[in-house]
Amino acid sequence: MLEPIILEITKTTPEIILDKDNNVFKISGRAIIENSQEFFNPIISWFEEYFKKPNSKTELTLNIDYLNSSSSLFLMKIFVLFEQNINTNNKIIWMYDASDDLIKERGEEYKLLTKLNFELKETINEDYEDFNFDI
Amino acid sequence: MTTKTIYDFYKLLENDNISFSYRGGFTNNVLTTATQLFKENIGEEHSKLKNKLSFLMIESFQNISRYSEQEGTDILEDTSEFFMTRNVGDTFYIISANLIDNDKIPTVKEKLERVNTLDKSELNKLYREVLTNKQISEKGGAGLGFIEMVRKTKGKLPFDFVKVDEKQSMFFMQIELKNPKVDDGLEPLPLSDAKFVQEIVADENILMMHKGDFSKEAVGPMLRMVEENMQNVSLKVHKKIFHFLVEILQNISKHAYPINNKREGIFQIGFDDNKFHIGTGNFIAKDEVANLKNQIEMVNSKTKEELNELYRKYLREGKSTKTGSAGLGLIDLARETTDKINFEFIEINNNYSFFSLTVNF
Repeated sequence: MLEPIILEITKTTPEIILDKDNNVFKISGRAIIENSQEFFNPIISWFEEYFKKPNSKTELTLNIDYLNSSSSLFLMKIFVLFEQNINTNNKIIWMYDASDDLIKERGEEYKLLTKLNFELKETINEDYEDFNFDI
Repeated sequence: MTTKTIYDFYKLLENDNISFSYRGGFTNNVLTTATQLFKENIGEEHSKLKNKLSFLMIESFQNISRYSEQEGTDILEDTSEFFMTRNVGDTFYIISANLIDNDKIPTVKEKLERVNTLDKSELNKLYREVLTNKQISEKGGAGLGFIEMVRKTKGKLPFDFVKVDEKQSMFFMQIELKNPKVDDGLEPLPLSDAKFVQEIVADENILMMHKGDFSKEAVGPMLRMVEENMQNVSLKVHKKIFHFLVEILQNISKHAYPINNKREGIFQIGFDDNKFHIGTGNFIAKDEVANLKNQIEMVNSKTKEELNELYRKYLREGKSTKTGSAGLGLIDLARETTDKINFEFIEINNNYSFFSLTVNF
């Protein structure tokens, strides 16, 4: 049995929910940690393990509000894993706020770079204008 | 803002362990973040001064708003208000500057001269008198703030009025807080030093400046300060500023050449000609200069399209340097800025050079 990874959101790292039993896969918040390797490596290992015996359907939802460049690399690594297991009925959902061009562009870039079932989903978050820079 | 200015500014503040300056509308958010910046970044030997320092920063801020003629609440509004905190040796300095009506000068001057000449017991006596007599001036205070500043610092309050026009003058004041546990044997910095800094930030349209050890937690408060004071800037610009700050400051904290275990750097943000300017300066090991120079020249020689392609290639291939993703960060910076990345290397000695960089957007 694969233990879930549940990490609460912090000022520099996103909330992570990777729960095979409940079929929930979510990354939300900001990833601006300097030592992104330490943060993302366990997540990548988790997915490697997961894809050995995946659920019948895997939807990873990302709702990112900021991404630094080293974290972008690790997200790419996760997407590459999804790509390698593309026959497992998997999908990426990239949420972005209607007013947030930067995150939208990042999503489009990933979509372009992968052969995944990659959905860009616009949301309207009323609180969004209060985007919080407090890290 | 040019790469040369960054170096000159750094030289000017060379002996500062930490310094921070802000020019723009003053809100409580600025205060909160400025105190936070200092609380989190001052040396261990000064930790006992933290509370006093916060208190004095608050007093100084309130002083600006009490005597100021402006009611700006946004960093981009044209304003002459200025605030600076710096630590040199064993002393902390808090400098404020704001416009004051010329006809109010005599009253303020009198209050300041009075507190500057009294000894400890006379001050305590005056303090009690002011409290009990409740001789509150129309803007509140009766100089109570000044009395408190002098009582807390056990020092004088250097001040000056510089005439701007027939109606107004610039009112400068400096608070000096010395750590009694450490003696650096240095003379206190004259108020003219701070006036000079104020002049430069005004001329160069620098909104915010921070010099210190970037291996510490300086990024958070800086970002928050920018955010809180740019309410009239669109989310897109907000995000861009955030984006640049994170990349650039993390880059300094990773690559700066450590001197006495500190990764010293300077950071400035300015607004001019409808563009934001971010400038940074730090030391880098001499043997890294050639490589960094090549990298910047490479990204500068490319069109936006080419940069996009290169970024995607790096991202796809997971290409990164040993220390992280310097290459990727730089490409990203180049593709998001409106102009080329300006940079300069100034050789300091056989071990390291000073590297300054400015970007506009």
